[in-house]
Amino acid sequence: MNKFKLWLEQTMMISFAILVGVIIEGAFFSLFGGNPLYEFNMDWLQMVSIVLTGAVCSLPTIIWLTDTDIPKNKFIVRMVLHCIGLYAIVSLFGWLFKWYTQLDGFVFMTVIYFAVYAFTWIVTLWFHKREDSQINKALDDIRDEE
Amino acid sequence: MQVRLEKVDNKEQEEAVIKAVEITDEISGAIELLEGDAKGFAVSKDGKTYILKASNVYYIESVDKKTFVYTKQGCYDTKYRLYELEVMLGGYFMRCSKSMIINLKKVRTVKSQISGRIDATLLNDEVVVISRGYVKEVKRRLGIG
Repeated sequence: MNKFKLWLEQTMMISFAILVGVIIEGAFFSLFGGNPLYEFNMDWLQMVSIVLTGAVCSLPTIIWLTDTDIPKNKFIVRMVLHCIGLYAIVSLFGWLFKWYTQLDGFVFMTVIYFAVYAFTWIVTLWFHKREDSQINKALDDIRDEE
Repeated sequence: MQVRLEKVDNKEQEEAVIKAVEITDEISGAIELLEGDAKGFAVSKDGKTYILKASNVYYIESVDKKTFVYTKQGCYDTKYRLYELEVMLGGYFMRCSKSMIINLKKVRTVKSQISGRIDATLLNDEVVVISRGYVKEVKRRLGIG
């Protein structure tokens, strides 16, 4: 049940990250695409494709990144595999659902993907550091003297 | 001292606030009692049985269905199961992984690893792991949740 809950949470998170990427891409091409008549629309199929991609992408996350009791080096290897795996899934689904049709669209999607991936990790690590600091401060008040 | 009891709906809302000019022996005793530190439980080592005060415990671990209690003086075993000790000790004793209970009062510092797990360094310099899933409860017990 916990794995299922985690899968749903991950699906929502990754879908949201992809949605942000697609919106950035749409906004960029609307503003700088050279064609003032370019319209950025999202139909139901695109929404479904984003959720579907999120659902598939959450599987490697559950398989590779939920086991926290592993050495740091092994975790970093898994993280690299995870990053490449997700990139492959996003590229494949992007091609299938026509998020991009030409090379410039693919390059743009690649840049957005790695930016969002790095941003997600930076925010996560920052949250952990903040949490450590809060806990350490609270521990100072209750610690036994020895 | 005036004592006021307020009824709450669930266990998570339970708390005791002591307003005092200074911490006297009586107040320290009351704090120990409320936090569960004054409680003792039976442990054994080398065939001898002892009553161990909860405040001496660093952490409790379950290995192959046996429960081991770690203190500054050494390791003891006990007949109690982890879930029994968790209920019995309460306060700052809490589950930090499936097989371990930690005494938060004996933690010197915590540090998150990239994998998400938290390494807790105890006062005796031992490092134990707090699983990410228990962090919310750690924060709640420390009043920062």
